[in-house]
Amino acid sequence: MELTFWGVRGSIPAPGPGTVRFGGNTSCVSLGTSGGKLIILDCGTGARNLGNSLLGGPFGKGSGAASILLSHAHWDHIQGFPFFVPLYIQGNAFRIHGGAKSSPMLEGILEGQMAPQYFPVQTLKNMGASIEIVAIDEGQPFSVEGCQVTARTNPHGRSGALAFRIEDAGRVLVYASDAGYARTGAPKTSIDLYAHADVLIHDSTYTPEDRERYADRGFSSVDDAVTVAVAAKVKRLVLFHYDQDYADADVDALVARARRLLDEAGASGIEVAGAVEGETLTV
Amino acid sequence: MKVKFWGVRGSLPVPGRKTERYGGNTSCVEVRSDSGTRVVVDAGTGIRKLGKELVAEAVGNTEVHLLISHTHWDHIQGLPFFSPLYQKGNRLCVYARKRDDMHLRAVFASQTDDPYFPIPFDEAKADIAFSELSDSAKFEIADVKVACARLNHPYIATAYRLTVDGASVVYVSDTAPFSDILFEDQFIAQPPTPGAELPKTDLKKLARMREGVVRLCEGADLVVYDTMFTNDDYKRIPHFGHSRPSDALQICQEAGARQLALFHHAPERSDAEVDAILAETKAAAKRDGMKLDVVAAYEGLDISVGRG
Repeated sequence: MELTFWGVRGSIPAPGPGTVRFGGNTSCVSLGTSGGKLIILDCGTGARNLGNSLLGGPFGKGSGAASILLSHAHWDHIQGFPFFVPLYIQGNAFRIHGGAKSSPMLEGILEGQMAPQYFPVQTLKNMGASIEIVAIDEGQPFSVEGCQVTARTNPHGRSGALAFRIEDAGRVLVYASDAGYARTGAPKTSIDLYAHADVLIHDSTYTPEDRERYADRGFSSVDDAVTVAVAAKVKRLVLFHYDQDYADADVDALVARARRLLDEAGASGIEVAGAVEGETLTV
Repeated sequence: MKVKFWGVRGSLPVPGRKTERYGGNTSCVEVRSDSGTRVVVDAGTGIRKLGKELVAEAVGNTEVHLLISHTHWDHIQGLPFFSPLYQKGNRLCVYARKRDDMHLRAVFASQTDDPYFPIPFDEAKADIAFSELSDSAKFEIADVKVACARLNHPYIATAYRLTVDGASVVYVSDTAPFSDILFEDQFIAQPPTPGAELPKTDLKKLARMREGVVRLCEGADLVVYDTMFTNDDYKRIPHFGHSRPSDALQICQEAGARQLALFHHAPERSDAEVDAILAETKAAAKRDGMKLDVVAAYEGLDISVGRG
């Protein structure tokens, strides 16, 4: 599988000279499967560039199909959805999986963003593509574009955020954005979900100091990300969802800290990198 | 009077190298009178940095008057990240056009509902008041006189003229020209058929709306205008509700305005493209014999307007 990062920032897009290297768009990652299919993880503002990049292929002609997995519906994970152009091309087909008590409730959440007071398109029904919306049954593996996906809720905000384990032809990717674990650490269900992943994309919003200062915001520090990566014995850790006020040099420091902490924990074998907007990684 | 631009982009924020100079944050403009009255127009993502500055300046006695042109995301999405909201003692007065279908407070409160945002609106510690305006409202905010006019945009938007310290600034965003389509609350799926005549009642409404905007801009020292579209954009998607620089020039010429700021740049517009649009617009103004000064708004631009 091939991963591309389209948005790596948390909370709100952070334009400006200070963020041009790691990128200022909010969360969106695309996954090209071994079978040539497309899975999109979250739809922050990065989804706009992803959508535009797809227009040269089948999505530009109305013959594209993809699945979207939404970790949760905070703005920074859905605000790029209305600007994802393939959704406006008739003939394209999307299946959206997300956390909600029922599929109609998930549809209501996405409709809320399109409502006329907020967006001129007014409803999902005016978008053109065929859109199927499915609520995820947590813990039950389901099939997405030929991959097996399992979702587990991490503590975050008022309703939590889903982390996804995606298994594709023997390779494992875990996407765990927005995780504010309790002081006692990540729940066993989370560690089990991450276990032995080839790549773990993990919330690394903060330095440990900022994590303390903003404890109620429900995000991980880089230290939390390292702790779970070691416990779950993953092969590679990718830091993700940086705070909107962190400049490129601050993110460099997060990555350096993660490397040092991994080495100190005797986990020199775990590779670590900071997610960079526009970069592709092969698993 | 000082006018400072905190966000100049339309549709959605666009971080990246291509927008580094003009800025990628969505619409937010701050107007300060010489006596210190602070009026902010629109709360796109640009308002986040203004909020940080205000919090650094003073804790707990900040008063901000926020005029909202309309409640599309790019004009309100920064408000949950406006730090003064979360400090006791601050006061925020929000003004926007009255709607029959939804109270203004509900429009803003829904933005921070579960599952969209972790902090509910009711947990904001500042004192927040809402004022609903009529299309042609006139009122005062301390020493600042405010006048409104209706704009031609899906779900309807409002233009504001702020007059203080013997100078006037007019904010005209978002709007389509007042010629080919009348925007109200309905969704318009397709551009109009070329050559199709608009109903007489629509033409009348548009003419009246245009006259209202020209009158609002009459003799203004600075007009900030939605010039998101190129001529090609307008040919392709006139039903999206935005203007071209030529539309802004015509309004400024008729109104005898002194300075025009191109504003609400399209998300796909690179810095070099905005430079080119600015150069073309300046040349067009000169060709037409206008004395108008033209600038392209960029993040951080701070203009002294009038004698202030």
